[in-house]
Amino acid sequence: MEKKRILEEGLLEQYLTGELSMENQLMVEKALNEDKSLKEHFDQLEADFEKMAFEQAIEPPIGVKAALVHKLEKSPAKQVQWGPLWVAAGFALLFGVATFWMYGQWQNAERSLKSLQEQTVNLKERMDALESDYILTSSQLKDINGPHVIPLVLYGNQKSPGAKLVAYVDHNRKMVMVNSQGLPPLPASKTYQMWSDVEGEMINMGTLSPKEELIPLKYIEKAESLNITIEPAGGNDHPTVEELISNVII
Amino acid sequence: MGTDFRDIQLIERLTNGDKAALYQLYDKYSGALYGVILRMCQNEAEAQDLLQETFIKIWTNISKYDATKGRFYTWAYRIARNTTLNSLRSKNDLIQNDDLGVYDTKAVEENEPEDILLKGSLQKLEPHHQKAIALVYYQGYTHQEAHEAMGVPLGTFKSYVRQALKQLRKTYANEMIWLWFIFETMA
Repeated sequence: MEKKRILEEGLLEQYLTGELSMENQLMVEKALNEDKSLKEHFDQLEADFEKMAFEQAIEPPIGVKAALVHKLEKSPAKQVQWGPLWVAAGFALLFGVATFWMYGQWQNAERSLKSLQEQTVNLKERMDALESDYILTSSQLKDINGPHVIPLVLYGNQKSPGAKLVAYVDHNRKMVMVNSQGLPPLPASKTYQMWSDVEGEMINMGTLSPKEELIPLKYIEKAESLNITIEPAGGNDHPTVEELISNVII
Repeated sequence: MGTDFRDIQLIERLTNGDKAALYQLYDKYSGALYGVILRMCQNEAEAQDLLQETFIKIWTNISKYDATKGRFYTWAYRIARNTTLNSLRSKNDLIQNDDLGVYDTKAVEENEPEDILLKGSLQKLEPHHQKAIALVYYQGYTHQEAHEAMGVPLGTFKSYVRQALKQLRKTYANEMIWLWFIFETMA
């Protein structure tokens, strides 16, 4: 419909010279964009128009170009529109700084979170250890505070006069626990070892580390006495009688 | 078909502020544009100033040129035409002319100087077709002004223009065939 009107009313010829109203100009441009055959028609019109212009050309005097060159070369270089470029650069810079700051914040948050997680894990481990210690201590306290527990104190002889050890024996529960905090320290090559005397035979109950609050040891049936000797590190199969430092009758 | 590839390259350079590109476009199109401007204002000194002004406007406004909408020459022609019409209107204002149209009071020139007479294929057109083309394309008349100047209805005037352009197209096509024939014969 528009194409027909454009062709019949010679609007393309008027569009060519730029004499159309803005409304008609936009209508023609829209039609040219949408209608390939109309565009081809206009292209041909433009080509003929240009050909006609070259045919009708009149060479201007050489001085016109010289004057144009003189005028342009005197004028400052074509002004680049810096305004919008500066605004765009400003926004880009702002965006860059904001991004950098956000990245920094994010990294800090990551670090804080990691640190918090580590602290949480650490705290949990400590809490578990404390809980475990508490359970153990409670259990041990319960063990040594039982109604059938017999506390026995072993004092050191002339070989180790300052030594002291407390043993808790419960025959009902067949349990022996000792507090070795009162034993003097030994060289690394030596250890304390505890023995039960059963009908004249010394039975190994286990080695002792000094400074420990409660050490469970092997309960030996029908033990008549408890004995402590100093043995080579790692313990001995048979007691070194010469190194006996303490004993107590049960 | 649109602006040729070499022109597109020159326009791209021009957009980037390359004055040498403008001088090359001047070399190519100044004759065609000067032909239009001189025929419109019929004063050589003024036409030369207007041609220079046209190219300065091309230099400063090249970023507004859209190659998808038409050829560079068409865009430059509109600048030349409007620059010249504005100059003629200013002169009319100075002599207290109340009329808004540029040519309303100006008689269509019958005795033009030799160098600004239309030439080439246009001369082969019938006189009323030749006149119609001259008025709208080389004297800056609008279609409205031109049909009044010729004393024919607007519709008739528009068909004069269409027929004239159709005739020109035939002439150019024939010229192309002859050129092709000559080249083929020479080859």
